[in-house]
Amino acid sequence: MTKSDPEFLARLTRESLEAEKRFIGNIASRLGRSVTGPAPVHPYRGAPDFWTAFELGIEDKIERFMENWRAAGGYPERIASMSELPEAIYRIAKEQHARSTIRQNLPELERLELASVLPELSHHAWNGGDPEDSLDICEQSDIGIVLADHAVAYTGTIVVTSSADKGRSVSLLPNVLVAVIPAERMLTRLGEAMKEIASVPAERFPAGAHFISGPSRSSDIENDLTIGVHGPGAAYALIVG
Amino acid sequence: MKVSLFITCISDALFPPIGEAMTQLLARYGVRLDFPKVQTCCGQPAFNSGYWDEARASAKTILEAFDDSDFVIAPSGSCTGMIHHYYPKLFENDAVLLEKSNRLKEKTYEFTQFLVQVLGVTDVGAYFPHKVTYHPSCHGTRLLGIKDEPMELMSHVEGMEYVPLPYAEDCCGFGGTFAVKMSEISGAMVSEKSQHVLETEAEVLVGLDMGCLLNIGGNLKFRDQPVRVMHLAELLYEGVRNREQTAGV
Amino acid sequence: MSKPQGFNVKERAKSALQDEFLIDAVKFTTERLKNGKKAATAEHGNWEEWRERGRQIRAHTVAHLDYYLSRFIENARAQGVHVHFASEGKDAARIAMDIAKHRGAKSVVKSKSMVSEEVHINEAFEKIGIESIESDLGEYIIQLANEPPSHIIIPAIHKNRRQIAELLSKEAGETLPPETKVLAGFARRKLRDKFLEADIGLTGCNFGIAETGTVVIFENEGNARMVSTVPKIQITLMGMERLIPSWDDLEVMATLLPRSATGQRMTMYMSGITGPRREEDGDGPEEMHIIIVDNGRSLQLGDPDFQELLNCIRCGACLNACPVYRHIGGHSYPGTYSGPIGAVLTPALNKNAEEWHDIANASSLCGACYEACPVKIPLHDMLVYLRNRKVERGVTAPGEKMAMKGFKMLMGNHAWFEHAVKAGQLGQKLLVRDGVIKSRIGPLGGWTAYRHIPALPGKSFREQWTKLSSEAEKSFKPMADEMKSRMEKIVQERTKGGHRA
Repeated sequence: MTKSDPEFLARLTRESLEAEKRFIGNIASRLGRSVTGPAPVHPYRGAPDFWTAFELGIEDKIERFMENWRAAGGYPERIASMSELPEAIYRIAKEQHARSTIRQNLPELERLELASVLPELSHHAWNGGDPEDSLDICEQSDIGIVLADHAVAYTGTIVVTSSADKGRSVSLLPNVLVAVIPAERMLTRLGEAMKEIASVPAERFPAGAHFISGPSRSSDIENDLTIGVHGPGAAYALIVG
Repeated sequence: MKVSLFITCISDALFPPIGEAMTQLLARYGVRLDFPKVQTCCGQPAFNSGYWDEARASAKTILEAFDDSDFVIAPSGSCTGMIHHYYPKLFENDAVLLEKSNRLKEKTYEFTQFLVQVLGVTDVGAYFPHKVTYHPSCHGTRLLGIKDEPMELMSHVEGMEYVPLPYAEDCCGFGGTFAVKMSEISGAMVSEKSQHVLETEAEVLVGLDMGCLLNIGGNLKFRDQPVRVMHLAELLYEGVRNREQTAGV
Repeated sequence: MSKPQGFNVKERAKSALQDEFLIDAVKFTTERLKNGKKAATAEHGNWEEWRERGRQIRAHTVAHLDYYLSRFIENARAQGVHVHFASEGKDAARIAMDIAKHRGAKSVVKSKSMVSEEVHINEAFEKIGIESIESDLGEYIIQLANEPPSHIIIPAIHKNRRQIAELLSKEAGETLPPETKVLAGFARRKLRDKFLEADIGLTGCNFGIAETGTVVIFENEGNARMVSTVPKIQITLMGMERLIPSWDDLEVMATLLPRSATGQRMTMYMSGITGPRREEDGDGPEEMHIIIVDNGRSLQLGDPDFQELLNCIRCGACLNACPVYRHIGGHSYPGTYSGPIGAVLTPALNKNAEEWHDIANASSLCGACYEACPVKIPLHDMLVYLRNRKVERGVTAPGEKMAMKGFKMLMGNHAWFEHAVKAGQLGQKLLVRDGVIKSRIGPLGGWTAYRHIPALPGKSFREQWTKLSSEAEKSFKPMADEMKSRMEKIVQERTKGGHRA
């Protein structure tokens, strides 16, 4: 399949700009306006005040996160330091009969030196520069390792954003997800994570911001819960520190 | 202080003992009820079916009847709800009647609301030694927020064994003309409700709305079930008479 | 159960009420979801305040939809998204076809989108020979069965394990046992291939965030992530009203939606997709299109009775609360949407009242939907408004019109009312047996099919009033002073005047 013809896209854009005028104009006139005004005052922004004051201490946050992750069918663990991660990953690989890993291409994960420390498994790093290959490798890999951008205790959620080094597929295609969470990145409320994301300027805004709260699941067959439908069926959250 | 009775069309034609119970109970607290006969029906049957002109014709008799009352009491959550929530809508284009509607709204109470909120009465001194279950009608609960008042009144009835109704908050399927227009669906809903009533093994089913009780009671009779169906006003009045008789009053 | 025929809820419901498996499945599912919501909202606490905040945010956005939609479009375009506008459902299909045909696409894989069902996108693709596969497990099942969804959140609840095993076995070319794990495992493998091969990924949109042009998708399976990560082209269908102003507001929606829909604290995945992949990214679509769909939504704007309808976040809580839905299931409702939201939306999106049929009558107006709605849409009121609009446009049964004229006459004047009651007391003598009326003849047949009617007492309340009030006088006791001052205080505090003496 070829790339879209620029002329085709240009035509679509022209049609779109025309249609937009009519579309928005219709909305405005139905709302009693001839022209769309400036930004309206937005008095009810975000969560109610009492909620924004809600804050847990670090140990409570970690405990709450682990409770929630476990309740969703995930496997939470507390690891003392990054240097103990390879051992944890080895153990997970044994549990899940896994033989390969793919990680985000981040220095923190590179420092684990998995290739030399766990030679029994094969290891890859996401390479944004080679999309075809990376996707294939990801699809073949058993374990996807990511470093969470943020984590939210109240809902048991990790946040992973996309970039050249952080392919979305790493947390999606392999059947086992290993999410590494530096303890200091643990937040209390979802709103805190939203704020972080919203503060990124448009030029650097990630194409994908993914909130993951456990393993993939469905109850579509007679309300019977099944884990691991399309996304990872085994979701490990390793809180470090 | 003019305290008027809005009897509601169903209770007027079918259940006179309810009006009698209210009159008698309130007399004991020094309330002499006034009954303006200009009243007919709150207009719900027409309003709910979308016939608002017709609903207005009926509602006007209510506005007229209670124009100079200080308090209006109705033995029905849905009729009271009609006044509170829908009269302002019904008369939104008529300044005079809208004003009357807003005044009426302020002074109209469902029966248990009046006893508890206005008179401050929660114990009428009733003795009613029977097993009783209670159906909380939808409009009363959801539109008027009537949850505590009937419970408080029932909790003080001596000798009564209260058994909660399973899935009490589920609609009984009356919905006025819905019961006739969508009869199969309504029939399924009332059958389920009756089934829950029978599960409680109660002797008496009590409620605050005769539309619901006509519906559930009618289905229980259809199934040859001897459960007695009463309005809470009737139950309380009978309980008060029981007490007075044993005391030789 | 095959696809029900006709536009009438009454007729479609009749067959549903006979289908025991369906009724049990619907009851079980709605109860599970309703209890889940109850537990999740109680555990979270302050639910009423969250509901009010949700309503405020959505109502505010809709009231300024022209502004927020313009910002959304601007910001999405700035990130490289191609934005399109579909005034009607068929426009959305046409634009999607255009894009697909231009790229020579052979296959589309899609995630859950009610709008896509509304605009019949699968049929449109199939007509020009493009395969369009549902990837959400429930949607995949009903696609194979060629049936519409019976519930907004769990579309295949009307299908039992054996039926599902049969459907999937046909696809597999081998007999699969009716075991959830095996069946889900097959779907996973089969659909994984589709994700990797498909030319186009089609998604819905739970919320568009105006401040960054982001499309937010909630899910539990991971298929929406697949569909928006692997295929080279992404097309997203978005109802034009599905916006929130900012990421801050997303926290409120993320609090309300999962708890209301399934009783979850959070869905397993919530993805914010902002534009196609960046130059340097290794995955994500190379080209992204958003088709903004009107299809009758703008008709609600500026209409004080229906504008709030656009607050809806499609959580399905009203379905789980509705006693009517619980008895008749989703297939009894014509159109894409079922339950209380469907009963209002299907007519509201359609200017032509003649096509509404009896859908707005499928309700006893119990208000459970309003109570359950996380953004406080007064659906129970809207059903009455719809009924009123039908009457005003003269689209009602002549028999009913006459009956209501009779009502007006009898209830408009208390003398007529009294005559009518008297006539009833006399006339019923033909029908009353042992104090009840059981006769099925005439318009009351619908009532007496399930209930006995008590006979009218010989005298109505008002006929006995004089006697009753003088009887009560015997038990009269003077009012306690405390009670008197209590009542006087209440009267004094009235703001609207009460009794203008």
